[in-house]
Amino acid sequence: MKPEASADREDQPPLKPQRSLAGRLVLVAAVWSTIALALAGVFLVSLYQRASERAFDAQLEIHIKALISEMLETDGDQAETSVIAPSYRGDPRFSLPLSGWYWTVRKAADNEVLYASESLVGDPLNTPALGQKEEDAGFVTGPKGDEVRVLQQKVEIGDTAYTLAVAATTTDYWADIYGFARLVTLTLCIVGLGLILAIFLQVRVGLKPLAHLKSSLSAVRQGEADRIDENLPREIAPLAVELNALIVSNKEIVERARTHVGNLAHGLKTPLSVISNEARSTGGPLADKVSEQASIMSTQIQHHLERARMAAQRRVIGVACETEPVLSRLIRAMAKIYQDKGVLVDLDQQGDIRFRGESQDLEEMSGNLIDNACKWATSRVSVTVAPLVDPKTSRDMFSIIVEDDGPGLTPTERAEAIKRGRRLDETVPGTGLGLSIVADLAALYGGTLELDESEFGGLMATLKLPSLDRQ
Amino acid sequence: MRILVVEDDADLNRQLVTALEEAGYVVDSATDGEEGHFLGDTEPYDAVVLDLGLPTLDGLSVLENWRRDGRTMPVLILTARDRWSDKVAGIDAGADDYVAKPFHMEEVLARVRALVRRAAGHASNELTCGPIRLDLRAGKVTVDGRAIKLTSHEYRLLSYLLHHQGKVISRTELTEHLYDQDFDRDSNTVEVFVGRLRKKIGSDMIETIRGLGYRLGEADEA
Repeated sequence: MKPEASADREDQPPLKPQRSLAGRLVLVAAVWSTIALALAGVFLVSLYQRASERAFDAQLEIHIKALISEMLETDGDQAETSVIAPSYRGDPRFSLPLSGWYWTVRKAADNEVLYASESLVGDPLNTPALGQKEEDAGFVTGPKGDEVRVLQQKVEIGDTAYTLAVAATTTDYWADIYGFARLVTLTLCIVGLGLILAIFLQVRVGLKPLAHLKSSLSAVRQGEADRIDENLPREIAPLAVELNALIVSNKEIVERARTHVGNLAHGLKTPLSVISNEARSTGGPLADKVSEQASIMSTQIQHHLERARMAAQRRVIGVACETEPVLSRLIRAMAKIYQDKGVLVDLDQQGDIRFRGESQDLEEMSGNLIDNACKWATSRVSVTVAPLVDPKTSRDMFSIIVEDDGPGLTPTERAEAIKRGRRLDETVPGTGLGLSIVADLAALYGGTLELDESEFGGLMATLKLPSLDRQ
Repeated sequence: MRILVVEDDADLNRQLVTALEEAGYVVDSATDGEEGHFLGDTEPYDAVVLDLGLPTLDGLSVLENWRRDGRTMPVLILTARDRWSDKVAGIDAGADDYVAKPFHMEEVLARVRALVRRAAGHASNELTCGPIRLDLRAGKVTVDGRAIKLTSHEYRLLSYLLHHQGKVISRTELTEHLYDQDFDRDSNTVEVFVGRLRKKIGSDMIETIRGLGYRLGEADEA
């Protein structure tokens, strides 16, 4: 952002910095995707855990069934009537001491342990109370202190009810689930990153027309284009159209104000000419007073018209002009106006330089300087235009140096001549408002006017103004 | 010397006409662009004072039309729009000088004098021919350093002849430049004034070229 743009907003409170549109879109999409993927991960792992649990219980149930069949003694036609002591070893781990795989057979009535696997080596197997339930499964702490899953079932053999319990260590079960969870997390993270990248690309592509709009607007501000490119997507095309309308209306307002000021000037200055000429030709004290007051009015009008014109152009957007044609035209006009005097005006312009502002203002500033130089010069006026960079702000500027070989001004007169916004009654006769108007106009554009002594002996006026960025 | 004043403000128009007449010019005036354009297009003027803000046809267009039609008389523009862009536009359209309103009449008279003089190819405000010396600023004529009194008609005649010295000036041209548009051009008043002027400045100064007109001073080689 250039300094003059921020200067335009100096009377408004500072704005809170806003996060970029692309940033917002990416952030919202990323947060939502992360939450969705995390929920999906939790859901998947819990499904997998439930399935693993069912498979685990099914495995335990097979062992219970095998244990029951070991307990039954078949006697002729009378099946399942008596119980024998089981020595079930359906899995070798039931024989290894504290292997994590255990079974017990208890009496349902008093929970007395009747039989137990060899792996328990006499230790009890904690089992949750079964109550009225026929079957139940759950996690308990095993004899070794590790976690086991135990499946219990009630069976009646003959008149006696037994509670059979088979337990197995959950180490592999959890390792399996954790492994699955890790895999799911990794997969979802990759998917998530892919999604964020896709969102980023989508936002970039989606917002590209906005970047185009921005560069188009910037070109208008710089004076490189007259209007914003309206070839934009349906959603933002109306914005460009409205902005173009605003630019046109802005220029029209300034043009109207300028015409109005011109009309006002015409309307006032003609009667003033009549009044003062009538007074001068009549003579006498009344005529002298009228003449004097008319002269004051004339200066006042000039002063306020200039300032009204300056105020009117403060808000003009995107204007620029080539300096060379403006200066050449002026010098051609001066040559005609001062042809009797025989003043030679030469122009030395170094390269193409574009003034960031109204050509009429450039014409006004340089016209006043060159006219002043021609008025006072003995035989020669030199106009030099050169690019420069403002050392303070690093902005591209250019200078117009107008020198003459006339009598020049003393340092005090020089300071007085460009005093900005000075009161009218302090205006030094002869120098007029010319130089102070140049200084005021230059300041409006962020430029300066300095007066010095020329090496030709006369006055050297250096006008520094902003130029368009060099390509 | 015949001047055209084109100014829409009646008072200012009258003031300009009076001041120019008092300065020894013959003055025609117009109060709108079309009338001004017509007069400038059909009558031979030695200079024109043209306001830019005119009804019916603006001053800049009037000037451009004249220049396009080959009218070369010097034009002084009066403008209330005194920005350099306006002045340069006026000069570019073919004006020779400008005066910004509000102005002092002396300023306009000085500029008109300079324009007329410049158009006739004279660098100084003093025109001389032999013993005759005419100070344009003071409007005074001397012969051999002796001041002589001239009527306004005689002054105009001498001034025109001095501006165009060495050239043969026809009676018609003199009539056109010394009298306004309403003058009866068939009358022989020019001859009468030439006769009176000869008596005041010396009879041999103005030569009669039979069938062609009059000449002041040596024949122009060109």
